[in-house]
Amino acid sequence: MATVLLDGVGAVGIRAARQLVDTPGLDSLLIAARGFSYADDVAASLGARAEAIELRPEDPVPTGVDAIATALPAALVADRATRALAAGVPFASTVDDADAIDTLLELDEPARNAGVLLAAGCGLAPGLADVLARHAADGLDAVDEIHVARAGSAGPASTAAVRRSRREPAAEWCDGEWSEERHPTPELVWFPDPVGARECVPVTVGVALLVRAFPGVRRATVRLAEPLSRRLTWPGRRGVDEGWGSARVEVWGWRGQARESMVYGVIDRTAIAAGTVLAVTAARLAGIAPGLAARDGPSAGTHGLAALVEPVPFLAELARRGVKAAVFEGVAVA
Amino acid sequence: MKALRRGLIVAVIAVLVGGFVKLRGKGGVPPTSGGWRELDGPDFR
Repeated sequence: MATVLLDGVGAVGIRAARQLVDTPGLDSLLIAARGFSYADDVAASLGARAEAIELRPEDPVPTGVDAIATALPAALVADRATRALAAGVPFASTVDDADAIDTLLELDEPARNAGVLLAAGCGLAPGLADVLARHAADGLDAVDEIHVARAGSAGPASTAAVRRSRREPAAEWCDGEWSEERHPTPELVWFPDPVGARECVPVTVGVALLVRAFPGVRRATVRLAEPLSRRLTWPGRRGVDEGWGSARVEVWGWRGQARESMVYGVIDRTAIAAGTVLAVTAARLAGIAPGLAARDGPSAGTHGLAALVEPVPFLAELARRGVKAAVFEGVAVA
Repeated sequence: MKALRRGLIVAVIAVLVGGFVKLRGKGGVPPTSGGWRELDGPDFR
């Protein structure tokens, strides 16, 4: 039995809370939010295993917590991770902001020294997309290119992070070096329906996690689509796909002498997908999901999900909870 | 009549500019054949 602390119950956090209380082996879910009364309302709606707590930023982690899951705006994540590190409690965050992920990566060495795992990017992308990249890579002998694209955001903080990422210069990993594109060129990406084709621009967020998880990769890129509310859409389309999010992962590599590609995708309500990924990751960190075997690899430090989880049981658990990935079966063109 | 002609010209220019802006990005690889298949039981063994 385990106790998980969930910090933040916005669009993503509230979905994660629901998934966590439905997880066998969870003894108690502690919920912290900016307003205690709201956290209390959420806890009351989740049943006896959920409990709201007042937790100010300067407060230490309550005793008995086995894992911390956060679904907070980027500016708050570093402090929460530092607090988790001080308490020696594993930490998972949905953060999808490049600077915040860099800050978490700076905590890698202290986390290794303390023997604590910090899971950065446990949402749709970075997050589930990284797991799909690992799943594709496991089907190949060697991987040399990984291209991730995401459409959709979950809540105002996520939408703001997407817009900020799209405005900033993009960094991509190219031939073993970082390359910056000050004026990145948009590219059409075909997501599963109903999202369909979206113009995506290269961004920095999530690339570093891929490069760390796949040390031999020659090229890694992440692209984001413009959130719908500011995008010109055809009449009638907005109502159809608003709220949907999708990730598409294209991995190129070698199987024997043949160069091959594998394309995986996922489509769901963005907040539901991100919340479910966060909850399953927190369950794995708390040790209450015995089926989610840890990948042979790091037991401490800051990592993305591609380095932390075995993709097959992780994807099966997500599918059991309703978040289903798909494989593109078609003719790929290099 | 003159106003109508001006309006039409403006509309044509707007469509051309819009089309150019929309198409200026690099094209991705259109999935001309094949489709998405949900991962299920056998994929998870």
